[in-house]
Amino acid sequence: MHDFSHDFDSVTPDLWMANEENWKKKLSKLANWYQIPLLNSNASHNLSDGRLVRFRGMVQDMHNPEFYFEKFEVYNTVTNEVKVKSGKYCDTAHILENEKINYTENLKSAQRQAMVVVSLPGLSDWAQEIEDSRNHLKHLNDQPNTTKRLGLTNIKFKRSYDETEEDPEAMEVADNVSGNKEPKTSEKVDDGNKVVSREHLLNFPLPDVPSKSCIVKIYDESENLKLNDMIEVIGFLSVDPSLSGEFKSENNSFLEPESETDAETITHNPPPSLVPRLHAVVVKKLDHCNPLLTETFDQAKILQEASSAREHLLKALTELLLGDKLAAEYLICHLIASVYLRQDTLALGQFCLNLSNLPTNKYPNYAKQLYDIIKQFVTKSYYLPLTIDNLNTMALLPKKDYDCNRLTSGILQLTKHTHLVLDETKMEQGRLDSTGVGNITALGNMIITQKVEYDFKYYKMEFDSDIKVLLLSEGKSLLPSDYHIPLRPEESSLEIFDAIVEAATYYLKEEIMNTIRKYLTNLKLVKYTVSEDLKFVEDDFIEMRKTDSENPFSADDLHRHLVLARLVSLSRGYDTLNKDCWDMTRKMERERLERLKNRVAPTL
Amino acid sequence: MAMRDYAADKETIKNFFVDFCETNDDGQKFFKYSEQLTQVAHREQTAFVVDLDDLYETNAELAEAVKQNTRRYTNIVSDLVYEMLPDYKHKEVAAKDALDVYIEHRIMLEARNHRMPGEMRDPRNRYPPELIRRFEVYFKDVSNAKSLAVRDVRAEHIGKLVTVRGIVTRCTDVKPLLVVATYSCSACGAETYQPVRGLQFTPPAACSADECRVNKTAGQLYLQTRGSRFQKFQELKIQEHSDQVPVGHIPRQLSVYCRGETTRRAQPGDHVAIAGVFLPLLSAGFRQIVQGLLSDTYLEAHSVTCLNQSEENEACEALTEEELSELADEELYSRMAQSLAPEIYGHEDVKKALLLLLVGGVDKRPNGMKIRGNINICLMGDPGVAKSQLLNYITRLAPRSQYTTGRGSSGVGLTAAVLKDPFTGEMMLEGGALVLADQGVCCIDEFDKMAENDRTAIHEVMEQQTISIAKAGIMTCLNARVSILAAANPAYGRYNPKRTVEQNIQLPAALLSRFDLLWLIQDKPNRDKDLELAKHIAYVHQHSSQPPSRLRALPMRLMRRYLALTKRKQPVVPRALADYLVSSYVELRREARNARDVTFTSARNLLAILRLSTALARLRLSDVVEKEDVSEAIRLVEMSKQSLQHVEENVQRGISATDRIFAVVRDLAGSSNTVKIADVIERCVDKGFKPDQVDACIEEYENLNVWQVNQVRTKITFM
Repeated sequence: MHDFSHDFDSVTPDLWMANEENWKKKLSKLANWYQIPLLNSNASHNLSDGRLVRFRGMVQDMHNPEFYFEKFEVYNTVTNEVKVKSGKYCDTAHILENEKINYTENLKSAQRQAMVVVSLPGLSDWAQEIEDSRNHLKHLNDQPNTTKRLGLTNIKFKRSYDETEEDPEAMEVADNVSGNKEPKTSEKVDDGNKVVSREHLLNFPLPDVPSKSCIVKIYDESENLKLNDMIEVIGFLSVDPSLSGEFKSENNSFLEPESETDAETITHNPPPSLVPRLHAVVVKKLDHCNPLLTETFDQAKILQEASSAREHLLKALTELLLGDKLAAEYLICHLIASVYLRQDTLALGQFCLNLSNLPTNKYPNYAKQLYDIIKQFVTKSYYLPLTIDNLNTMALLPKKDYDCNRLTSGILQLTKHTHLVLDETKMEQGRLDSTGVGNITALGNMIITQKVEYDFKYYKMEFDSDIKVLLLSEGKSLLPSDYHIPLRPEESSLEIFDAIVEAATYYLKEEIMNTIRKYLTNLKLVKYTVSEDLKFVEDDFIEMRKTDSENPFSADDLHRHLVLARLVSLSRGYDTLNKDCWDMTRKMERERLERLKNRVAPTL
Repeated sequence: MAMRDYAADKETIKNFFVDFCETNDDGQKFFKYSEQLTQVAHREQTAFVVDLDDLYETNAELAEAVKQNTRRYTNIVSDLVYEMLPDYKHKEVAAKDALDVYIEHRIMLEARNHRMPGEMRDPRNRYPPELIRRFEVYFKDVSNAKSLAVRDVRAEHIGKLVTVRGIVTRCTDVKPLLVVATYSCSACGAETYQPVRGLQFTPPAACSADECRVNKTAGQLYLQTRGSRFQKFQELKIQEHSDQVPVGHIPRQLSVYCRGETTRRAQPGDHVAIAGVFLPLLSAGFRQIVQGLLSDTYLEAHSVTCLNQSEENEACEALTEEELSELADEELYSRMAQSLAPEIYGHEDVKKALLLLLVGGVDKRPNGMKIRGNINICLMGDPGVAKSQLLNYITRLAPRSQYTTGRGSSGVGLTAAVLKDPFTGEMMLEGGALVLADQGVCCIDEFDKMAENDRTAIHEVMEQQTISIAKAGIMTCLNARVSILAAANPAYGRYNPKRTVEQNIQLPAALLSRFDLLWLIQDKPNRDKDLELAKHIAYVHQHSSQPPSRLRALPMRLMRRYLALTKRKQPVVPRALADYLVSSYVELRREARNARDVTFTSARNLLAILRLSTALARLRLSDVVEKEDVSEAIRLVEMSKQSLQHVEENVQRGISATDRIFAVVRDLAGSSNTVKIADVIERCVDKGFKPDQVDACIEEYENLNVWQVNQVRTKITFM
């Protein structure tokens, strides 16, 4: 077939459409997708318009569906030729100066869905580095850009953004920004253009983190993508600078209704150099984003290797938690937890851990140091110091902005299996204003129900989340938690914490690190079953109810025990609940409750 | 598909307008459309509304065709009405505005011009119909049309009449939209008319009248504002309502263009149903350059209706066969009760009571007296017994509900506040949770921590169902026909069975007696129940789903619709049951007198029983209260009392504690003979005793005549 002479580097939308089935088959046969450039690792200005690229990220917002012309006729005024073209997989019509689109007949409309996809919030540096090293395509840098990529665009828009942005990280919105970087501000400048900040356009959930975003046009509705899903998209890149809303011509007609405000136009049409468009041909939902995992998933092997990885992790964490083995056990369980059942108000599998009694007097940055190690293990994490100032100013909850007609992101808009570390040791006395109170409530609700309420002004909508929260505090946290454990540091370790950190970094060689990283991600994917016979659990429950009539052991406590038992079993490489693990769980809980009871005032 | 014969359709519609009549209640024939035509002819009415229901009756196939190609039929009807109008004009109409006069002049001019044969006018300069016609044609969708969600409006609906439901998120000001632009030529004075169909137009470059063309003067054209016709125009944005959005998706939006009579019908935040034609909009200007391959879409409104909550429910009310069979269950009562918060295990009676609260009793107004039908329930209990979860669930289930805590989150609080408008400086009333929940349920968590001024207001709400305001010169009475579901925590952290309810909750008896039912939820170990609970939870973990209990939980949606259905019934208590009621009440009173009663049995209880039994009858969708209803109501009242009284005593542990408490009291007393009980409790709680142990001790030693306790139980005097 003729189109097989082309490979994925040179395929164009037209070629693709000519033989869609074949291409898709060819793509599915492709062992790894590395040869298709990943936008996350390669700057978009090095890639030519209309070529096949990949992007990986989180669905951040969904726009209204667009009606595009699937088939339309182009009439050439010079040659009187009529050509049939397709608007699928592209944004601009690519017509010549003397050609005209026939808007009145033989038009075929179809619908496509535009989504805003941002790079995975909180993706750890190590994961990003591995991706970069695999996906960074060196030869792309050598290509002369612009001239090749933009075949047929208006000359007057030649002042394209990408020429000024060799370093995407340090990039500002070109020359227009003039130091005004506050989000959501737009000011009128002389040439009639509205200017909004780069942060506003990227709309990334986490502040101060470099990110990329894409507008992905989805043609296949059957994908059923949900908000906050992790997806990998292969599609045709579209970076025609004329797509930018900032080039909007002055409104000349006084009769034009305000169908879209300027803010909306600009927000929905950001400069493509900043936010490239992607016309998806294949969309894949991702279960994890750990680059170390292989495609094949071998449960038996994972379980076999679990205990050795666990040993390493336990050793490291025990040292870091100043010799407290119990806390380390709980922390491991916390790291492998994920929500596995949701029913009405019940979300089973959530594991919010509160580590209190941190030695902050001696090591004021203990929480941060702990996080720095944890983030080396997990794929996605975010550290949020709970200062009064942060709580009062930060936007945790996503909110619909009707002026720009988009969902303004908040910190709690995270993909599943993201670890959120809340550092309460940084909190001081102060006054929370209404935003602060709202933020605290939102965090509390998220911890209890694993649901985040998005504000749509006229009503609120709950979105399921699966965010693991680790609360680090001096006393008991003011936020609710499922498991609260006060740290019991050993005197000897307390003295030499800095040395411990150093030793731990030394001990955690790349190889061991990778074992642990794989272990943590794999265990979230393992299928776990509970055997039919749970007599020992039932008996224990009745027994426990009897022993303490003052603080009866409640149904919630049993849920909590069973969730912990699941994680205890999994962490040791069992995919079913047995008596040993159950007893171990009970012992852990007993010890933990004992500690809570005899909690002493922090002496450190 | 063959082209429809539009000329024939036009004829059919004409006959329909002439012939269609409805017979009203008096048996008189009412020619609906002739009437409308007359009014339109006399300029008393601008909108000419064709009800598709009527057309459906006469010609179903035509009505279907109209739905499929609404724009075309709008034009056909418009032509038709214009043709028919002169026949219906019975009197001369006084000119209403400048445009009327203007049109009149032009028509006269036209008539005069035609008397001069030989002069041919350019057809473009003929008056366009849009200029002359002063009416607007709208179609009203068939009443049983399914209203779509925004996301269900797709490409296949283009050109068709659809009804969309949603919430208005943005609406622009109403602006004049040019429909026909009239120009006059500076050279020859001829007038040129340009009908504007879209939202933008390009003025013609030069005069095209004969005179100018022949003389090649190319006169300048000037827009005549007075001679142009404008129409009211407003753009709305509607967004899907939260229940129309699939889980995990973002609500979608739709632009709606309202013209003429459909403008100013809705405000941001309103729930609306909009019938209109879904049309593509070719973008122009910037959007065309950029997105030449895209077309925007909009809905051309034909009718905009604001929905209130109840109407919205009615829209989706009819139960399907399937649902009916699901509901046709012997044990509907207990099944529905169990479907409340199914994840909370047990507490059947509490759930039954809550179900009755949702249904509500019947309001009665004998001789202007108002007896409320709403049922108020107060849940008490130790912390962590799922009170708040129950409240939350009820808030979600009830179609109209407010959830608040006793402290109240806003300055408005529970009742109402008078606020000063920051812009106008006027005083205005802002309703609190109780007012907002009118005709619904108000869930108040932490009822015991209520602010003092709210507490006084709530007395009135709970019995009279109104809130009187006398603040800042505003004196008014707001309706607050709410059922109150309160949750309260005991004063000393745990419920003390030795004390009365008002001591435990620290609320006055006057307020507590207004609750029809008071429940004390407790969590006590009980082997059989515990085993069942353990099995239940184990099952959830084993199979990752709720156990298939004998009674499957009903979906929330179905519950809501059934509850709406029950509210329509107004069951009455038959005379025969009166005796039974009276005797039961007398029995209750007698028992209360004999036993040590921690609650109050008063006439209010009788009313509570009545309310509960009418609610039970409603639940059966019956018009008459039966004896079973009454006995079940009495059982519930009895159970609620029992939950307060039969608190297990802990005998084995008591003695040593009692002795130690006695020692504490003795130490506290020192040389004096009297001790305040409050001091005793404070001291003992410090030492780790529980208040109920203290009370046990006080009572025990009182019985042993070691000390005496005064009447109000505030002081202990050693003998």
